[in-house]
Amino acid sequence: MQATETSLTLKDVINARHKKQRVQLCFYLFLFALVIWSVQATVIEDTDWERIGSVSEIVASVSHFFGLDIGLIPDLLAPTIETFMIACLGTLLGLVICIPAIWFGALNVTPFKPVTYPLARISMTLSRSIHEIVWALIFVSAVGLGAFAGILAIAARSLGFIAKMSAEAIENIDQKPVEAIRAMGGSNLQIMLYGILPQVLPVILGIVIFEWEINIRRSAILGLVGAGGLGLVFFRQMNTFNYPGVTTVILAIFGLILIGEVVSHYSRKALN
Amino acid sequence: MSVLSVRDLRARYSSNGPEILKGISFDVEEGDFFAIIGPSGAGKSTLIRCINRLVEPTAGTIHLRDVDVLKLGSSDLRKMRRHIGMIFQEFNLINRMSVMDNVLSGRLGYVGPIRSIFRTFQDKDIQRALELLERVGLQDHVDKRADQLSGGQRQRVGIARALMQEPNLLLLDEPTSALDPKISREVMDLIRSIATELKVPVLCNIHDVQLAKETCNKIIGLQDGNKMFDGLTPDLDQSSLEEIYAMEVL
Repeated sequence: MQATETSLTLKDVINARHKKQRVQLCFYLFLFALVIWSVQATVIEDTDWERIGSVSEIVASVSHFFGLDIGLIPDLLAPTIETFMIACLGTLLGLVICIPAIWFGALNVTPFKPVTYPLARISMTLSRSIHEIVWALIFVSAVGLGAFAGILAIAARSLGFIAKMSAEAIENIDQKPVEAIRAMGGSNLQIMLYGILPQVLPVILGIVIFEWEINIRRSAILGLVGAGGLGLVFFRQMNTFNYPGVTTVILAIFGLILIGEVVSHYSRKALN
Repeated sequence: MSVLSVRDLRARYSSNGPEILKGISFDVEEGDFFAIIGPSGAGKSTLIRCINRLVEPTAGTIHLRDVDVLKLGSSDLRKMRRHIGMIFQEFNLINRMSVMDNVLSGRLGYVGPIRSIFRTFQDKDIQRALELLERVGLQDHVDKRADQLSGGQRQRVGIARALMQEPNLLLLDEPTSALDPKISREVMDLIRSIATELKVPVLCNIHDVQLAKETCNKIIGLQDGNKMFDGLTPDLDQSSLEEIYAMEVL
């Protein structure tokens, strides 16, 4: 019988299942040990248990933050608008500096692969691996305190995500219109304008709106290092131990982000 | 004098890959409606794409009205391509653009970079696009987006776009494979009547042997990169068909 040589017996199947289960068990045990070790090393050994005090003291410390500083609200209007503007202008500037990065970073359109492609990919990784606060520190030292440094930091941090996602969108386009334009004698510029851009423009716009929403969050904290906006007010309240003031600023940030999310949700929906 | 003369054409996609075309020769005369038939994978699409060099042949010669196609530099190649209209199996339209913009895009070979950026076409081009859309029966769909049309309508946009180029050769790559039998016949009839009217020779890949016999005056049969038949449509009999499709019969 030929069939029996290749077909599995019941015993084989059961053994294979048991083996798989044993491997899974080992994996979970390893994972559990890893978590225990992490907690031991970071929480148990690294925390200053003496300073925390009793449970009631913890509750008392946290309760400082309850309550609002109503008097602060009029002073929040200008920084809130500034935060919003940093996010908007930063995203816009980010999009502008993205254009060469997208062009160089998409394998199917990059002009000179051995040089331009790595260049684009490195700039994308660099942009994303440096935290926005660090970007802000760099630009504050370069152009001084204020919103302009924040705008530059947001733009630099946005490049990575926008360019990476957009370049991938270009790599995944439908090649058929491109072939049609090449066949009718179109130049590379015309292939880009008529074959590629109409396909990816809505995608890129969606990516940019999503990044803008994230940038509102980012610009809200940039003031911590002097790059303008609500973060600066937050920092001042914290330094003067005005905890209700801190809560007020957090609520303002929350409201702003909420607006951003709503606008982002509906505008991206309208794109499709 | 033949319009298109192909000699010993060979093509492969990579240097160590299989040879897709193994020395194909044929001539297209003025007024010909030339069908290329054969089983899937025979090299029909590759052959037609070699004519306008969307695929670079590895050997052989192609002469289009005494121009040695394979010797053209990239700028001359683009100038030559703008006189070769191409119609595709999947229509290859720009889906997010309007029907009008799709038809006008057929003029891109004649349009400079600045005009391309702003999509400003000359009035006479717009006039011609309107006439062509009326000729293919789409005068009521000018401002619709291309992806809102049915398959048959999209192929009509493809036809109008190809004619916008004022072609002196039409290449058709399975123009009816994505369409149902009734629409297929309508589309082929339309292409044939326009080609006759404008005196443009046509080279057409086609799956449907029956439709090829009804539409075309000459037929080439390909099988696995070799030419198995080349002659007038009435000469294509059962035995030559069996030879072309031998691999499928087995």
